[in-house]
Amino acid sequence: MPEAALNSLNKPSAMSSNLFTVALRLLWRDWNGGELRLLFIALVMAVTSVTGIALFTDRLEKALLLESANMLAADRIVSGRGELPEEILVEGQTRGLRTAQTLSFTSMAFSDSSNMLVAAKAVSDAYPLRGEVIITEAAFTRGRPILSGPPPGEVWLEARALPALEIEVGDTVFVGEAELLVSEIIITEPDRTGGSMMDNAGPRLMLNMADVPATNVVQLGSRVSYRYLFASDELSELDDFEQWFRAQEEWRGRFYIRDVRDESQEVADALDRAESFLLLGSLFAVILAGVAIALTAKRYSERHYDYVAILKTLGCTSSQITFIYLTVQLVLAFFAVVAGWVLGWLVQLGILRLLESIMLVELPEPGLQPYVIGALTAVICLLAFALPPLLALRETPPLRVLRKDMSQQKISDKVPYAFGILGTISLVYWYSQDLVLTSVLVSSVAGIALFLSIVSYLFLRSGGSAGMKAGNAWKLAMTAARRRRSQNVLQVMVFSVTIMSLLILTLLRTDLIDEWQAQLPEDTPNHFMMNITRNQIGEIENFFANNGIQGNAFYPLISARVTRVNGDEPNPEGNLGDDEQNTLTENANLDDVELSEAAQAAAGEPDTGAAGEGEEGRRVRGGLSRRQVTWADKVPPDNGITAGEWWGEKPQAGYVSIEQDYAEWLDLELGDRLEFEINQQTVYAEVSNFRSVRWDNMQPNFFIIFSPGTIDHLGGTYLSTALMEQEQKMLLNDLIRLVPTMVVIEIDALIEQIQTIIAQVTSAIELISVLVLVCGALVLLSCVNASLDERFHENAILRTLGAGQKLIMTSLLIEFATIGFIAGLIATIGAEASLYYLQQEVFQQDFSFHYWVWPLGPLLGMLIIAGLGILSTRGVVQISPLNVLRRLT
Amino acid sequence: MIETRNLVKSVDTSEGLLTILKGITLKVNEGEIVAIVGASGSGKSTLLGLMAGLDGATSGDVLLDDNNLTEMDEEQRAMLRGQLVGFVFQSFQLLPSLTALENVMLPIELKGDDQARDKAKQLLQRVGLEERWHHYPNQLSGGEQQRVAIARAFATQAQILFADEPTGNLDTATGKKVIELLFELNREFSTTLVLVTHDERLAQRCNRVIKLVAGEIAEDTTNTVEESVSA
Repeated sequence: MPEAALNSLNKPSAMSSNLFTVALRLLWRDWNGGELRLLFIALVMAVTSVTGIALFTDRLEKALLLESANMLAADRIVSGRGELPEEILVEGQTRGLRTAQTLSFTSMAFSDSSNMLVAAKAVSDAYPLRGEVIITEAAFTRGRPILSGPPPGEVWLEARALPALEIEVGDTVFVGEAELLVSEIIITEPDRTGGSMMDNAGPRLMLNMADVPATNVVQLGSRVSYRYLFASDELSELDDFEQWFRAQEEWRGRFYIRDVRDESQEVADALDRAESFLLLGSLFAVILAGVAIALTAKRYSERHYDYVAILKTLGCTSSQITFIYLTVQLVLAFFAVVAGWVLGWLVQLGILRLLESIMLVELPEPGLQPYVIGALTAVICLLAFALPPLLALRETPPLRVLRKDMSQQKISDKVPYAFGILGTISLVYWYSQDLVLTSVLVSSVAGIALFLSIVSYLFLRSGGSAGMKAGNAWKLAMTAARRRRSQNVLQVMVFSVTIMSLLILTLLRTDLIDEWQAQLPEDTPNHFMMNITRNQIGEIENFFANNGIQGNAFYPLISARVTRVNGDEPNPEGNLGDDEQNTLTENANLDDVELSEAAQAAAGEPDTGAAGEGEEGRRVRGGLSRRQVTWADKVPPDNGITAGEWWGEKPQAGYVSIEQDYAEWLDLELGDRLEFEINQQTVYAEVSNFRSVRWDNMQPNFFIIFSPGTIDHLGGTYLSTALMEQEQKMLLNDLIRLVPTMVVIEIDALIEQIQTIIAQVTSAIELISVLVLVCGALVLLSCVNASLDERFHENAILRTLGAGQKLIMTSLLIEFATIGFIAGLIATIGAEASLYYLQQEVFQQDFSFHYWVWPLGPLLGMLIIAGLGILSTRGVVQISPLNVLRRLT
Repeated sequence: MIETRNLVKSVDTSEGLLTILKGITLKVNEGEIVAIVGASGSGKSTLLGLMAGLDGATSGDVLLDDNNLTEMDEEQRAMLRGQLVGFVFQSFQLLPSLTALENVMLPIELKGDDQARDKAKQLLQRVGLEERWHHYPNQLSGGEQQRVAIARAFATQAQILFADEPTGNLDTATGKKVIELLFELNREFSTTLVLVTHDERLAQRCNRVIKLVAGEIAEDTTNTVEESVSA
């Protein structure tokens, strides 16, 4: 080209502003024409779900940190058996952390006329570092918050203790040798539910650390729980300190550092699972929105081939075409991002509203990151899903203006699907940061694709008949399905993935909620009673019966130790991994049982942890140390025999039942002969069965259960549980007076907290399910729409040639229903397979086969796809064939 | 103005290589009005597409205002089209999402001209559609759409105009009006016009008629000026 001509063509600035105008005009018209609406909605859904969930988790994380105030009264606590080294406290102070100390012990409190066992807690002046203590001057009145414990010389007592001690505020009590003034009634303290077993063995008595020496209660060998509390506004300072602490080898197994997540395993588990579910939900939402974007963008670009050809004829270069369509996408993305942000914000607001009652602190404002993530999602979705088909537009040959059939196939071939696939994988990984989740999702989709190719090949290959077989609706539908084989395979794939996502979420949701509800049903006992002698059982049962308290079975309890297996020293398997081994050792001597484990602890399992992620080691921790064992004639509720047999109706002495993980760890086999040391006597028993135990049900659970008659003669005490409602709480005083030696552990606050959390988390999960459902519907609609033009055209021709409305509609119905049936079936298979991995690897649940889904999946697929298909294509028979043909040419 | 040298176009079909144009050599001078006629499948539209740079030849050369199209890639050809060439098609090829005015503005805007709106309005007035400028193609009749297409073709004051069966989709009376308009504007803008047509009467109004038979030039006749003007 002559230079002059080229120069005259180069007016970049004016050109780009004009191109921008052209792009905006195109956008506006396409928007009005409805062509971009689905694409826009899909983008908005992607941004909404990601922003909403990112906002929620961001605030939740921050809230959890703050909420630690309510659980720990600090950001980190160091605890242990025996006095804690001063060095730890000094190190914390040197690092700029705020510090405080507490000391918990059980003690008798004496008044002039009465006495009772109290859970005493001495606190230093800086206590609490987080949260507030609520106190009041008169029992059962509204309290006031205070940021300290009692001053020296004074104690604060829980309201229940006052009538029991027959005193009032202003009187004095003796704790050990010290006489202290009861100055306030204590209602709550921040770390009450997160305290140790000793903190729950009676009503609270709080005193100042300075008064402890005067009491003379704490002496060498006393059962005392020491705690150092640390707080800082700088998370990094806390992390550094924690790292320093963990690096001190000599403290390992004696002293422990914890944060709020360690404190209540049930709460942490529920929240972790909810977060995983929300994450999974948002992943599905993004994938589905991505598919919807890909489909709508593809259709949009197909409808623009002619447009581009004309533009090219008028002198538009390929790069200008790219500029125009990129502009359209970016402007669309801009509005989608803004809309998505707003909706996302509303979604997180909705989730937070639902969770309001468990968020005890005011939620911190979210950072900017969730918004960035939302916007990036839109960009990645567009790049991966929408841009490829739109970029393929630039390859449209201008000759298409003269020859309409020109190279449509050639253009479609150039769409780089790899972009979409890579984009999806990166998105999934980016959000989840979880290789297991990513691989499960990717392999289920890949599996479906492979399976589908084979099935559809087999299904559609049969009888490659010519023509349309227009005489019969069934044949017409089948030949239509075969003719559009590649398109149908794609449709079935999209439908399958969509239905599969919805099925997975629904099933997971149902299973999670069922499990939670089963874990803590309404009548879960909220008080544990220990240290009961055999002849006190009757008294307690009578007391319960007279006062309408729901009591439960009494379990005998005795301390035992495995000394030999088949005559040899026990040799635990070393396959728990280093970390778990450490945990095992760390906790082996832990007498200072935390309340979250109170159920098991009270049940005589002071060293069992709640079930949860990586809990294997903790569950069997304690290993070969002493553990509390029981004997029973029946299998305890929530226990299942996994191998061997339970002793029958007439049990014989000399048998033992072992929890399965513990048995595995000890490498036990059925029939092994175990030697135990119980009360300095040697007892032998044969392993007759292994048991699964539900550790998180807040019920007495045991690793080792003997058959009746084996160890009964060795003494021991009894343990039981009871459900006492709030209004029955004062009866505790009477009960303790009746059975003074009994220790009652109150876990009602904890149970209530867990139940509330579960209820609210369930609502949040339902909300996200709805979000995914909307995305799914969007995909289905886009997918049906994608094949609409061709169906319209074909059926218009059929009608022109005399095919009746009924024939066409029936054939469409059959075609859609068949596609839906196949998609539903494949989705069911995919969902069950994915669930198997998800439940095992991500949610730590036991997988169970969902029989009812097998007929439901295909049926649902059939109904939804047929419904949507008929709804979208009903125009085929309603508009006159002439109009259809005119519209499409 | 336009020159083709031994132009060959072949395409692959399921039955083997099909040669549509078999060595076409011709020259169209500036200001000439040339009709390409021939039976269906004779290669008329293919020749038009090659001369306009809408497609690439298998062999041979096409020179458009001394620019050899066969040496250019699609990007360069597109820029040259924007600069030199206008089109009128049988199926109008208006962008359905743009109004009549916007359709005419489009090529002017693509050239980077800020006066697009005014120029487009003038042209629409010239083709008698000043009242319909805000209408979309589907709100216009076939004749009106073709008039918008003609306005668009002259919008950039292209030196060469290619028309593919411009009356093919119109009834006789409307077709006649559209042709009158096309010729009038052609005179006004002194454009070189190459049109493909089946319409013998239309062909006779052109300076020159090239008849294609099976991809070869069978006849190349020049009409007298009187004939082409008076017809």
